[in-house]
Amino acid sequence: MQAIILEDVRLTLASAAGPVNILTGISLSIARGETVALLGPSGSGKSSLLMVAAGLEAPTSGRVTVAGTDLTKLGEDALARFRRAHVGIVFQSFHLIPTMTALENVAVPLELQGAKDAFARAAAELEAVGLGARLEHYPSQLSGGEQQRVALARAMAPRPQVLFADEPTGNLDGQTGAGVADLLFALQARAGTTLFLVTHEETLARRCQRIVRLKDGAIVADTRAEAA
Amino acid sequence: MNTLALAFRLARREMRSGFSGFRIFFACLVLGVMAVAGVGSLSSALLTGLAEEGRVLLGGDVSVHLVHRAADPNELAFLKARGRVSETISMRAMAYALKNGREEERQLIELKAVDGAYPLYGAVGLSPPLPLGRALACNSSICGAAVEQTLLDRLHLPLGGLLKIGSAEYRVTAILAHEPDRISGGFSLGPHVLMSKDALGRTGLVTIGSLIEYAYRVAMPPNASIQRFSDDAKAAFPDGGWEVRDRNNAAPGIRRFVEQVTMFLTLVGLTALAVGGVGAGQAVSAFLDRKREEIATLKSLGAEGGLIFLIYFLQVMLIAVAAVVVGLVLGAALPFLIEAFFAADIPAPARYGVYPGPLVLAALFGLLSAVAFAIPPLARSREIMPASLFRDVVAPTRARGRLPYLAVSALAAACVVGLALALAPSLLFAGWFLAGAAGVLVVLRVTAFVLQFLLRHLPRPKRPGLRLALANLTRPGAATSAVIVALGLGLTLLATVTLLDRTISAQVKDNLPTLAPTFFFVDIQPDQTARFDDAIARFKSARDYRRTPMIRGRITSLNGVPAATARVEPGSRWALSGDRGITYAATPPKGTQITDGEWWPANYQGPTLISFDAELAKGLGLKLGDTITLNVLGREIPGKIVNFRHVDFTNGNQNFILILSPGLIDKAPHSYLATVRVDDADEEAMYRTITDKFPGISTVRVKDAIAQVNGLLQQLSDGVRAASLLTILAGLLVLAGAVAAGQRARLYDSTVMKVLGATRAQIAGIYALEYGFIGLATGLIALAAGTAAAQAITERVFAVAFDFDPGAVLATVLGGMIATLGFGLIAAWSALAARPAALLRYP
Repeated sequence: MQAIILEDVRLTLASAAGPVNILTGISLSIARGETVALLGPSGSGKSSLLMVAAGLEAPTSGRVTVAGTDLTKLGEDALARFRRAHVGIVFQSFHLIPTMTALENVAVPLELQGAKDAFARAAAELEAVGLGARLEHYPSQLSGGEQQRVALARAMAPRPQVLFADEPTGNLDGQTGAGVADLLFALQARAGTTLFLVTHEETLARRCQRIVRLKDGAIVADTRAEAA
Repeated sequence: MNTLALAFRLARREMRSGFSGFRIFFACLVLGVMAVAGVGSLSSALLTGLAEEGRVLLGGDVSVHLVHRAADPNELAFLKARGRVSETISMRAMAYALKNGREEERQLIELKAVDGAYPLYGAVGLSPPLPLGRALACNSSICGAAVEQTLLDRLHLPLGGLLKIGSAEYRVTAILAHEPDRISGGFSLGPHVLMSKDALGRTGLVTIGSLIEYAYRVAMPPNASIQRFSDDAKAAFPDGGWEVRDRNNAAPGIRRFVEQVTMFLTLVGLTALAVGGVGAGQAVSAFLDRKREEIATLKSLGAEGGLIFLIYFLQVMLIAVAAVVVGLVLGAALPFLIEAFFAADIPAPARYGVYPGPLVLAALFGLLSAVAFAIPPLARSREIMPASLFRDVVAPTRARGRLPYLAVSALAAACVVGLALALAPSLLFAGWFLAGAAGVLVVLRVTAFVLQFLLRHLPRPKRPGLRLALANLTRPGAATSAVIVALGLGLTLLATVTLLDRTISAQVKDNLPTLAPTFFFVDIQPDQTARFDDAIARFKSARDYRRTPMIRGRITSLNGVPAATARVEPGSRWALSGDRGITYAATPPKGTQITDGEWWPANYQGPTLISFDAELAKGLGLKLGDTITLNVLGREIPGKIVNFRHVDFTNGNQNFILILSPGLIDKAPHSYLATVRVDDADEEAMYRTITDKFPGISTVRVKDAIAQVNGLLQQLSDGVRAASLLTILAGLLVLAGAVAAGQRARLYDSTVMKVLGATRAQIAGIYALEYGFIGLATGLIALAAGTAAAQAITERVFAVAFDFDPGAVLATVLGGMIATLGFGLIAAWSALAARPAALLRYP
């Protein structure tokens, strides 16, 4: 059973200097529960590929199937409902909502699902990432590492089939980053979630089962981590 | 419902960041709602006062007016059978100050003789506070009179002094401080004088054919029907020429005036709301720009576009509701402020209070405007792509929201317009006003767009300061367009009002005196005509002398259809209500312009033929050969229209809408009206000669009447100008908002400029250039649009030549420029004061 199937995905964006080809025919298949790192230099199209796979951006052509749903056939609101049900996302710069407490931030996706016990579950998720004592703190009152842990709890709270992580340690110092990475893999292993990790750090990538290397919008290598 | 609850919950959390970006939004809405609510509340206070005091203002529950003749015994019996009756007799006359037995200063007065029953309702205010009967009492040689203070001032007469009116002497026993039914009497040419009926008889001025009005007020029992009175009166005296008015419409002129001023001021208030709306839209856009990241995050977590819209719509509407409440409170307080400070200047009785009707209306206007202006930017926000979280560059978003949202916004705007039109007493005026405002908005928007387009494509100047100023005007999100539109609308209104005011007051003050006669003489009796003509002829400079027979009568039916039920255009209805001056002539009077038909033969003596005002005939739907029935002195006179004439009402001369053929009308008792022009040097001498020789003839100095009309116009135009300042204020708020919104970018720019070595004066110069340009452009556009509007109104509506006043207009342009420049430089000041290091350390 495949969690993500990309078939000849192309993405071209308009710019003032003319159209720019970001992705030039990507085909990729990721099994359920698999952990995959997308590795490549800056500007190689990593984040764009993640956006397309997470249903945040529509490809110019090709087909994207995630959790059995063809995303290219969905409208904007249907995509939002799809993300709500099947996908969690962790960003490099956390993107917590500054006016909401840690607890409220984690509760939002559950509330969007209409969960009655959103706050109890959110509290449990925060407990699980070691922030049980910081439920009522606002993002501005938390350190970078803590903020990213809240973001992780928020992404994992609805028990998504696929977790997308875009440079999750990119804004953190080495030690804090390592702690967050540990937490990420621990949560993934516990829930059996498929992980699609974008990074430019070789060491982080190596913790995944599979490494896909991207250059100029095309896959240049797709290897098991041990062989990489 | 769940979505709404969730949206509400999320909105509440969002609002923790405060509302600092919404100050201008709030202020704009408060201003507009306050204006509409205040005007409505004040108007309700006045209209309620007029309605509640109707019987006092009218002097009775019903009143019957007759001109030239008193009610006959049958008519009196009819009136007395229906309640208590009071008779008053009004006319114009000359009053002379008697000093040492000689007639000294003289003055045209409005004379009113009252019976013992007067007033049926309310009370006459006298100083000293004598009972009215005592103040007006007569003995064998002299009667008392109560006069207005202005008469004593003009005649230099003390209280207790002597007056001569007609052939009798009167002692001023009291000052007339309050006349309860004055407002229903109409326009006054002179101070009011009250005397008894007895006393009036002694003047010797009451002759048949003199211009005298008899009014009979009836105080009816509480349950008596006014409608029944009217019906009975019509049945009993179909040819009586009665003009019946009732307490429900005691002062129709004042009521109409209040209604029309209310309409105009409400429209101005709505314009302020529209100007504020531009600022409100701008504020919402800026707010949502700051919330971009949160919106994208919520979307990436699975929030649908509809939910996003709802979260922010709820926040905006919450602020709107708060602003509306504040606006309503301030607006409702306005009548009380007026009462506290200006009660004496309000000519009509007002019932100050809180009126829910206008407040509900103002709230509706405010909320609908908020919806109309806030939805377009809110609809754009739902289109923000979550992908924008990943890119530094702004992800391209749809330029416009989706159609259903824009449709709701348009619907709200249409509701505002529809409501304004539905409630306006004059659909035509309100329609033109709103169409004009909308047209100006479009012109301003298009001009702003073209200007920015041109600036963007201009070759870049070499001087860096100028280059930055031009770039600031055209960069994405620049305030240029919003300021031009918002401030431009207010300035256009001000320019229009100023130019209109100048044109009309020039017409009244400068042009009219060159066209109008120097004197009007009223009530020249047939036996005085030869002596009168001779007296005038003795003045060498006398010219354009015209003496015309005049009698007053009412148009009672058009082609057999009663005047009250005839279908005529609203603008021509006046000709059918109340009595009009009628003259007769064998040959066309000098200067007559016949537009259609033929004049009757000079020796014609047959059935009455009529020459009618061509313009008015159109409004009344009359054609050649139609029959008009007139009631003169209680007699019905039918006549056939045989020609139409052009009548120019703007020159202040003798103008009769009706000229009849002789044969019948000339047999009725009547007096003469005369006009003459004299050189300024002879004016005083002619005034004294005529008033000395003919104390019974009312002499009207046209100069005085013009001054009086001009004074009224001046007050009106001052009020209108004050009102239009409201829209300017709204425009300034928008300007302040735009300046505040651009403050961060400005701070950054000025820091970078400082780092690169620019002095503060150089940076201030850049801002001065930028805002000076916006101000100048706005002023010039407002000038062009205002001139076009004022010209169209003067030529189409007032039918007078447009008078362009460069001084007034220059003030508008400069005012706009200085205001914009001032606000811009205040903003620059704080940007200049910031230390570069602070900003560079924490970018």
